[in-house]
Amino acid sequence: MGRFAPASVSRENWALLGLLAATVVAVSALRPAFLRPDNLLEMSRFFVETGLIALAMAPIIISGGIDLSVGSIVGLSVVTMGLAWRLGHVPLGVGLAVGLGTGLLCGLGNGLLVARLRLPPLIVTLATMALYRGLALGLGANAPVSDFPTSYYDLGQSYYTVAGRVQVPEQLPVLLVVLALAWIALHRSVLGRYVYAIGHNERAAWFAGAPVARVKLALYAFSGLMSGLAGAIYLSRVATAKADAGTLMELDVITICVLGGVSISGGRGDIPGTMLGLLIVSSLVRGLTLARVPFEGQKIVLGLVLLLAAVVYQLIQWRAGQVRPVAGRSREDGREMPPAQGE
Amino acid sequence: MRRGSLLLALAGVVIVAMSGCTKTGPQEAGPPAPAVAPAAPGPGAATPGKITVLMVPKLKGIDYFNACEKGAREAAQALGNVELIFDGPTEDKADAQNQLIDGYIAQNVNVIAISPNDPDSIAGVLKKARAKGIHVLTWDADANPEKSGREFFVNQASSEAVGAALVDEMAAQKGKTAKVAIVTSSLTAANQNAWIKAMKARMASQYPQMKLVCDPKPSEENQQLAFQVTQDLLKTYRDLDGVFAISSVAFPGAADAVQQAKQGGKVAVVGLATPKPMRQWVEAGTVKTVILWNPVDLGYATIQAAQALAEGKLAAGAKALESGRLGSLTVSGDQVLLGPPMEFTKDNIAQFDF
Repeated sequence: MGRFAPASVSRENWALLGLLAATVVAVSALRPAFLRPDNLLEMSRFFVETGLIALAMAPIIISGGIDLSVGSIVGLSVVTMGLAWRLGHVPLGVGLAVGLGTGLLCGLGNGLLVARLRLPPLIVTLATMALYRGLALGLGANAPVSDFPTSYYDLGQSYYTVAGRVQVPEQLPVLLVVLALAWIALHRSVLGRYVYAIGHNERAAWFAGAPVARVKLALYAFSGLMSGLAGAIYLSRVATAKADAGTLMELDVITICVLGGVSISGGRGDIPGTMLGLLIVSSLVRGLTLARVPFEGQKIVLGLVLLLAAVVYQLIQWRAGQVRPVAGRSREDGREMPPAQGE
Repeated sequence: MRRGSLLLALAGVVIVAMSGCTKTGPQEAGPPAPAVAPAAPGPGAATPGKITVLMVPKLKGIDYFNACEKGAREAAQALGNVELIFDGPTEDKADAQNQLIDGYIAQNVNVIAISPNDPDSIAGVLKKARAKGIHVLTWDADANPEKSGREFFVNQASSEAVGAALVDEMAAQKGKTAKVAIVTSSLTAANQNAWIKAMKARMASQYPQMKLVCDPKPSEENQQLAFQVTQDLLKTYRDLDGVFAISSVAFPGAADAVQQAKQGGKVAVVGLATPKPMRQWVEAGTVKTVILWNPVDLGYATIQAAQALAEGKLAAGAKALESGRLGSLTVSGDQVLLGPPMEFTKDNIAQFDF
């Protein structure tokens, strides 16, 4: 059961580190300016929102679930913050509470449906993806709000000055704190053991006494909360509360998780890998922009890198003898528990 | 770690983030200090005499912006010393423009010319560009001039002229008491909003009995949505006389909806779009007039303005801009004006290939 709390860097993460190094070498060869500290710090401003949600999405996928509604929750949180300002001119603290509260409520909604009613997460969050986006559009479609006071723009647009000269985007420390929390929760706590156990075999985990429903509820609630937080940062960065905020963000987040070695069939993946996935995707996008590769070219490269990662993971698993290709089908041996049937 | 303490810690995260050490205010609060010292080579370090212009459309891949790009390339070639980068997002989203421009700020571009999706959300990043010594122009749509610090707006036609042309055309087709609705692009688009304002002013002053049956409906640069919105309007307001569709994506969608409902002639569709995609509706008679400026000329004028700005020939107080084959364009305040709107009808629409 070493995988429940991996103490050393896994083979997947070595491969990801190599991929990150290759990415950085490639893009800085195209544009040396990429490696300038101010560029790297400024780049971080744009990955905090997806990063926060990825830190919540990875444990969900590891537990065998998925949350497709995160982008819609971002949109709804942004809209409720905008409405709170327009209707009540509420101070920043209250506005943040509204945004985070919206996210948490949405996440709890997902969690209750998945954990208590035992509905499949794919269906639940596909439905709430439409539901939450619909609410955002309904509440906010005729009223993009952009007359916020400047205090609302602190979190997304200003800097901490460290050592008198290095300017760190203000949202970056938020990501680092959540990263630490997520790492502890998933890799150094009982909750994390439950998450992996559920992802390997939910039924066995339940028989072994894991509080399956409570763990799932917590995971989806956390995902909602992080989406609300990402919405607050987005609003602060983009300065306009519009209902289309976070559109297709769920795909970016899932891309990062999957690239980072989180197995879509559950039970496998970790926080360091997810963060490496985030860094690879962000470096690629930023580096290719610097190298003046147009938007569509960036997508092509990203797709190819994702495929490359999938191939590498497969090779690693074959070499480890965990999964062997047998006449086009894969067969799992005893080292990994087979997934529960009929879940 | 238990759920409760996890959430508690998260609340702490927000507090830490909001109350931390020394802070530089957001872009609006004052001139942002350059990230890390000015040791980095500025834009001036590019090849002397050569001007790199980043031109950003609202989105790539639609006829209108393709036509703008064509004109921009023509001007860059004619001028000789302009390197043109034409890049934009593939969807109509302000955030994508932010990220794209932020990436280009780190490079040796001399001028950024942008058609913003949202006048406020682009302001921060444009201000940052200005602080790094990059010239900033807007074209097609404007950014918030105070918040963004943009220097000039290359305006295709004054909003008053566009608004008047649209409303006058509707009155000519359906009379002074027509019941009308507006299908716009997105509700944050600055140029659409300026035209709507001008249209309302024109109605109030010239056609007080013309009636808007509802608030403008957004179509988000999505033709299918424009089709659906117009279909809903036709069903909801049975006595509707006309629809204004004021973007090159909204117009064909609206025209298609009216034609499929077999309401051509009964419901007039008046709007702004490029001629080529509208040709079928004009030839079918559903649409009588397409109002626009020449987007090829708009792209051409933008690059002329960008070069003049970088070379110091276009500065505050300028009254005119020499623009190659377009001759001398009027500069009014901080706007470069392309000229009066253009009208495409059954008689001339086939001559325009954009």
